[in-house]
Amino acid sequence: MIVDIILDGFFAALAGIGFGSISDPPLRAFKMIAILAAIGHALRFSLMSFSGFDISTASFFGALVIGFGSLLLGKKVYCPMTVLYIPALLPMIPGRYAYNTVFSLIMLMQSLNDPEKLHNYLEKMVSNGLVTVTVIFLLAVGATLPMMLFPHKAFSLTRHEQKS
Amino acid sequence: MDTNTSFPSLEKFIAEYAACLMGAGVHTSRVVRNTRRIGEAFERDVKLTVFHKSIIVTIADPQTGKSHNEIADIPALPISFTYNSELSALSWEAYDKHLSLEILKEKFNAIVKAPHIHPLLVLLLASLANASFCRLFGGDLYSICIVYSATFTGLFLKQQMQKHKINVYITFIASAFVASLLASTALIFEHTTAELALSTSVLFLVPGVPLINGVIDIVEGYILIGYTRLTEAALLITSIAIGLSFTLLLVKDNLI
Repeated sequence: MIVDIILDGFFAALAGIGFGSISDPPLRAFKMIAILAAIGHALRFSLMSFSGFDISTASFFGALVIGFGSLLLGKKVYCPMTVLYIPALLPMIPGRYAYNTVFSLIMLMQSLNDPEKLHNYLEKMVSNGLVTVTVIFLLAVGATLPMMLFPHKAFSLTRHEQKS
Repeated sequence: MDTNTSFPSLEKFIAEYAACLMGAGVHTSRVVRNTRRIGEAFERDVKLTVFHKSIIVTIADPQTGKSHNEIADIPALPISFTYNSELSALSWEAYDKHLSLEILKEKFNAIVKAPHIHPLLVLLLASLANASFCRLFGGDLYSICIVYSATFTGLFLKQQMQKHKINVYITFIASAFVASLLASTALIFEHTTAELALSTSVLFLVPGVPLINGVIDIVEGYILIGYTRLTEAALLITSIAIGLSFTLLLVKDNLI
């Protein structure tokens, strides 16, 4: 169980770093992105596997932790919150559900003359699509919440301490 | 007559700064705050009107009561978190240390001209990321290796098409098609998680930054620009879906 959680965090960290690199973050941010991605994803994994949470609620809590983490760690590397939390959130994007939505839509088009199949695929498409949209929305809101709670702290992360 | 000769150039700089931040994928409230902060450093009152393609900057001098307008086109820059962090830090530096306009411009140019992460390194890291993603979803070793190579090829294609300034939607459709087609080779092997390989192969294309920026903008009250960003993200996601559909239509009989 512990091994599963650690492995989950490890691969999430790899994914966070890799997806982050597409968006050209400063080099000093990579370490923090990896830590946040690992903690967030491992938390979601634990909540879903051991506490029976559904994917959207678990994602929200994962994102919330990433958001608060980026507020704390952002000051250490002088990076705005979004620079740390957007790459860290990416491993939580519900790819499987997004894929199923597209796949069901295609199969729905292929089975327009078969009401039973049509119904089945329509149901799959709507449920998977809703999960995808809800999870992505909650991810964004969860990570942004700390920014709304502590605006002054969040807005001065890139300010270097004045030497007085 | 405006006797202060530095005024128009200050104004141009502030507009350029704001447009650069918007172009690099920074959410709107941060662009507004940073730009106003630079204005305050020069004792100017800065107001911004932000659109998706252009930005209107109004800079007023409270002492003389004069104000100038500057309209800047927002350049279609690649998303850059480095610009986001460094230019934000620059605005604080200007505010705290009262930098002169010349030094500020120098520092700005140094940040903008700094080299990006090498594309090859991005390719390697992003492919590794997508492969880890496949593992997170429970893919086996075959799928992981296939996703790695599929992502590598797909992202390489995307980078090359972007270099040649090909339409972004066509780029996304083509990259998604190629990546998913390569991932569909997992169907050759029996007992593999081929469907997982297919579904993860295109995820490196997901436009995470405009998606999340869109939501941030909406909840912070910049609803118009937030929806613009989400529309852009939705179009890109649709393009990914179209590219993936081509592959699925080719191999669907093997998937059911």
